[in-house]
This record gives sequence, C-alpha cells and structure tokens, in this order.
Amino acid sequence: MADIPTYELERLFAAPPESVWRTWTEADLLARWYGPGVETVIHKLDVRPGGEWLNEMRMTVQSGYQRAEYLEVQPPTRLVMVQSNTDADWNIVANPGMPDWPRAMLLEVTFEAVGEGTQMRLVWSPHEASEAELACFAGVMAQMGGGWESGMAILEEVLASL
Amino acid sequence: MRCRRGRVKEDLTRRLFLYNHMVMQMTLSSASPSDLDAVFAALADPTRRAILARLSDGQASVNELAEPFEMSQPAVSKHLKVLERAGLISRDVDRQRRPAKLEAAPLAAAVQWLEAFRMFWEGSLDQLDVLLATMAQDGKGDS
Repeated sequence: MADIPTYELERLFAAPPESVWRTWTEADLLARWYGPGVETVIHKLDVRPGGEWLNEMRMTVQSGYQRAEYLEVQPPTRLVMVQSNTDADWNIVANPGMPDWPRAMLLEVTFEAVGEGTQMRLVWSPHEASEAELACFAGVMAQMGGGWESGMAILEEVLASL
Repeated sequence: MRCRRGRVKEDLTRRLFLYNHMVMQMTLSSASPSDLDAVFAALADPTRRAILARLSDGQASVNELAEPFEMSQPAVSKHLKVLERAGLISRDVDRQRRPAKLEAAPLAAAVQWLEAFRMFWEGSLDQLDVLLATMAQDGKGDS
C-alpha cells in the first residue's frame, strides 16, 4: 500500500471539529462550499457506512456528476469515502479528458481539534486501481514534485518563456 | 497576494476560468483527449522537464542538449523520442541537425488540467472557510 501515490491537503479552520463535520455531513451546508464557483445540487446524502452521496455540479454548458459511497463515518473526527465520476444516471464512467485517470478515488478526511480550531487533513488516492490507472495518477503526482506549488512553478516558468 | 485586493480578484477570475475549462475538457471530451496521459508520463521525468526548460530558450540539437546534462547522445535521443511522442516537442526532419523545438499546446493543456485539479480543492476549501465564519456568526446571533 505504501507505494500508492496520494494527494494530500491540509487546512486549519477557525471552527471546532463539530462545526466542520456538519459542513461535510449536512446537505444544505455541503452544497454551499463543495465545487468552486459552481452550483452544487445534492441529490442524495446518506452519511453512514455503505450510504451514498450523489452530487451534481451545474456548469454553464452542462453538469458534472459524482457518486460517493461512505466506508467509515466517525463523527466528528474521520470520514472515508470512495468517489467516482458518473453519467447523469449515476453510472460510473471514465474521465473523458483522461481515460486512464482512476475511476474510483479513496477520499479520507480527518478533523483534529487544534486550540479552538480544526486541522482538516484530506488524503486522496486511487482506489482498487489498475496498473494503468496507478501509473497515470503517479505520473500526475510526480509532476507535482512532492508539492503542487513547485511543480506548477516549473511548468509556469517554461510556459512564461514561450 | 493577500494584501492586495485587485490581485486576489484577478486570481479568482482566473480560477473560475480554469475550472470551467477543465470541466469542459472533461465532460465534452473534445479531440484526442487521451494525449494527456502521454503528456503526463513524459513530464514525470526530471531530465525531460529540464530538457523542456532548455528548449523554452530556443531550439537545440541533440549535441547541444547532451552537453549541459552530461548525458550520452543516445540517452538524450531516447528522452526526445518520449517527448516527441507526447507532442511536447517537434523535430525538424529536413535538416541534418534535426533540432528539437518546444510545442506549447500540449504543455498548456497539462498545466490547465493540473491547475484546475488543485483549484477545485483550494477553491472549495476557501468557500468552506467563508461558510464556517457565517455559521459561527449565526451561532452567536442565536445565543
């Protein structure tokens, strides 16, 4: 397992874990922040092991659909789910922009009380992925050189000089 | 960045543009999307990234590329083949030196894809920040 590449993100929020937990588990709150600059419609949110989150992101041209199944639910400290892109009927589909992108991604979110705030940690990794999917994800992550910023800086430098 | 309002707004506009671009690329599935796989595989190697950075200063022959990298010509040729297959460079077929030249389009697509991917989470968490502040405010109002 150790060699499966992951995408990790940490953020400190000025709110207790109980509040941050609510923003992930109450549909009206989740819809307000998930998906930047788009209208998020939550068709189903059943936060318990085996339960589903059916999510639609409405864009100007058309919608993007996502389905998640919860594996672990430990309020207010830990939430684990498997996410996939789907069609409008919630059937899992490959990413048309990148066919070898993993169809299922494991998302582990942990909430840790720090003072009066919450340290939220997000770990994203391929779930039950094929060799090709792992290679694709690893390629994208390697491109980041361990940190998104540094990888972007290299590419932006190259592009800026064109 | 945080201290200058104009810059923040500009940054946000750019984020939204990139995000929309990503979504269109993902959902509309335009011409030859699988190329991105090859692009990312090619970019995963630090030597190949260095070669691209060198080519961004202008075209170069295998000889010229081998020198700063202290690599054999066959080794450089191998890397160039991977880059060429991914469409990241082109090589002049008519001339003997066959200089390699950077092709911008696939690189730009890769950058946008990665950028959008990161922006999705960063942008969402920015919104979460605002939501939590609102919730805290509402909570105070109740009590």
